[in-house]
Amino acid sequence: MSTEDKRALLGHFLAALAYRTQKALRDAPDDFGSFLMAEGVRTPAELVRHMTSVLGYARTHFIGGHYWPEALSSFDEEIVRFHEMLGTLAQHLRNGDELLDGMTEERLLQGPFSDAMTHAGQLALLRRLAGAPVPPENFIVAEIRPDRLGRDQANPVSPDKVWPEAPKDWKP
Amino acid sequence: MSSPWVSDDKRELLRHTVATLAYRGGKAIKNAPPDFKDFRVSDGARTPGEILAHIGDLLDWALSIASGKQTWHDSTPLPWDDECARFFAGLQAFDAYLASDSPLAASAEKLFQGPVADALQHVGQINILRRAAGGPIKGENYFRAEIEAGRVGSDQSSQRIEFD
Repeated sequence: MSTEDKRALLGHFLAALAYRTQKALRDAPDDFGSFLMAEGVRTPAELVRHMTSVLGYARTHFIGGHYWPEALSSFDEEIVRFHEMLGTLAQHLRNGDELLDGMTEERLLQGPFSDAMTHAGQLALLRRLAGAPVPPENFIVAEIRPDRLGRDQANPVSPDKVWPEAPKDWKP
Repeated sequence: MSSPWVSDDKRELLRHTVATLAYRGGKAIKNAPPDFKDFRVSDGARTPGEILAHIGDLLDWALSIASGKQTWHDSTPLPWDDECARFFAGLQAFDAYLASDSPLAASAEKLFQGPVADALQHVGQINILRRAAGGPIKGENYFRAEIEAGRVGSDQSSQRIEFD
């Protein structure tokens, strides 16, 4: 299998993760980072740090060592660090850097990359529970690009016109 | 939607993603607490039964996009065990199409960024609801999990490195 093609698709995976994470975070209430759904459930700030942690773990398979991010003092800083990690990891993919210790593209995908995507879904759920749900859209036409991994993500190309669970003040 | 050429390599990695969805989704729905299907954490939030039905709809949608006959259908949730069976049937149908010689009517990137990524996100939501409902799943080192393209049924590997 061609490593180049696989890495291109992994790069798109990271771009989709950037897009979907920002969708869950953009215009969130000021105190969303500390929203606690229930005892034992991670807050959004803890989730973003964990997402950074699993992606940092993925990066260790390019550079060696260990990665264990300390908690930062604000949710905003956590988000900035998350996007920086996305960019760093994507650069390793683009560079064609060698994977260490028998790691493969498939294992990156099934492990840390997919882990982060499931947590992005949890952020979206927490947004709803925090009283500020995220409007649905048709993601297949979303403007997701492998070179766009930062906080500044595109607005939806095709937002849903019907949203049965919409808040009362929602306008399509 | 255009009919882009999709390399066999990307197609295979997309199949691996579908297998990952089967493994992770299978773990999220297996041995769920009684009445978990109808657990509603707050007004306006979907129940696990509604989320799983939506995942089934996403897999049907994925197959329709791949085969060039895009259709969407909102289904009514089935009893939990039936919805679980529908989940794996949807995965198997989509994977069988990806494994075939039939052309893909959308790129691997589009199929991933739409229905497949959506379904992965919803699996994460079922996981967090499992915890809130008092029946959490164990964490796991997924990068060592026995996940392979084509293994998309309910019979997933039991060789797992789980955390207590």
